[in-house]
Amino acid sequence: MSSRVQAPAISNNLLLSIIEQMKLPFVQIARQAELAQLGLEPDYRSIRTLAENGIQLIDGYSLGVQLANLNSYELTPESVSVSSVLYEADQQLQSLARLYNIQLKLNIGGRFEPVLAHRQGLQAAIIGLASALIEALPSQSAGEQSTLQLATHRCRYGIVAGVYADLPSLSSDTLKRGRRLYGNSRQPLVTVSHTTGAGIFVADTIFKAMRLKLHISRHHRLYGLGVVLQPSSQLAMI
Amino acid sequence: MSKPKNRLLLIEPDMVLAQILTTVLVPKGYTVVHAFTAQEAIMKADLSTPDLVVLELQLVDHSGIEFLYEFRSYTDWENIPVMIYSSVPPAEFNHSREIMLNQLGVKNYLYKPDTSLVEFMRKLNSLIQRTDFHNEST
Repeated sequence: MSSRVQAPAISNNLLLSIIEQMKLPFVQIARQAELAQLGLEPDYRSIRTLAENGIQLIDGYSLGVQLANLNSYELTPESVSVSSVLYEADQQLQSLARLYNIQLKLNIGGRFEPVLAHRQGLQAAIIGLASALIEALPSQSAGEQSTLQLATHRCRYGIVAGVYADLPSLSSDTLKRGRRLYGNSRQPLVTVSHTTGAGIFVADTIFKAMRLKLHISRHHRLYGLGVVLQPSSQLAMI
Repeated sequence: MSKPKNRLLLIEPDMVLAQILTTVLVPKGYTVVHAFTAQEAIMKADLSTPDLVVLELQLVDHSGIEFLYEFRSYTDWENIPVMIYSSVPPAEFNHSREIMLNQLGVKNYLYKPDTSLVEFMRKLNSLIQRTDFHNEST
C-alpha cells in the first residue's frame, strides 16, 4: 500500500526531469530537419536515432512508473541472463553511440548463472544509464573518442550489471546529490552531464521498483553505475 | 581594409548540436573553433582570439556565466561580442539581465527551442556587421 502512495511523488520529479531532457532530442531533430531549408542535406539516419532514443527514454519512464505501482506480489521476477540483456541493450545503443563518437563495448566475458530480475525493467534501466552517459562523455573527453562498456562481473554480493567509462567525476556523492536535485535542477549531475541525466533517474526508479539499488561501481579501473543482482537459486540447484 | 570577422568560438556541450551548427556556419565563411567546456573554451581562446563567442549556459563543471566572468577578466577579450544560444529560458535570467548586458557584454540571448537555424544565422550575421561597423567607426 505504501508503494502505491509513494509512486506519484517519484513520478512527478522524474516527469519534470524527463520533460527537460526531452527538449534535447526535439531540438536536435528540429535543427537537423531544418538543414534542407539552408540548402544542406539533413542526416536522416541521425534524426531516426535521436527520435528512437527519445522514445526509449519515455518508454523507460512509463515502465518505471508502472513497476513502482506494482506491489511485491504483482512484481514477478524471472530468471534472466544478464549477458543477453546487455547484448540486446548494446544492439539498441550502437547508433546513438556512433553519433556521439563513443565506442560502445560489450564486456560479458566469463560464465555467469542467470539472475532473478524483471527482464524488461533491467534492459530499460541499462539503456537509460548508457544513453545518459553517451550524451555526457564527449564533454569529458573534449570530443575525442571515448569508450563506454556494458559489463557484467561478479562481486561478493552477487552479479553486477552496469555501464562503465573513464569518468572519475562519477562518485557516490555525485549520485547522492543528483538524487536530491533531480526534478528541481536542470543539471543535477553537474560534474558529469550538461543535461538532466534523466536516463540515470529512470534507471534508479526502475531499480527501486524492482527492490534493487543503483550504485556507483568500479570495473577494470573504470567508473560506472551498476546494480547487484542475485543469482537465480532455482536454476542454480539444477 | 579590415580583416573579416569570422573566427567563432562555439561553446556547446552537445556533440550533435555542435556538429549541426558547424555544418551551417562553415559554408557561410565562419571558422568554427568548438569547445565542450568552459575550461576548454578558455584554452582555445588563448590559442587564437575569437571574433565572436556563441555560448550555451549549461556546461559540465562550470556554468556559462562562470565562463563569462573568467573570459571578461582578460583585457584582450573584454570587447569580444558574446551571443548566448541556450536551452535555459531567458526568463530565468531576468534578475541578472543588466549584469549580462552591461558587465558581461552579452549581445543576444537566443533560446534554443525557439530559435531556428535561419534565425540563428540572421542574429549572428547582424552581430558581426554591428561589430565591424563599431570597430571601423571607433
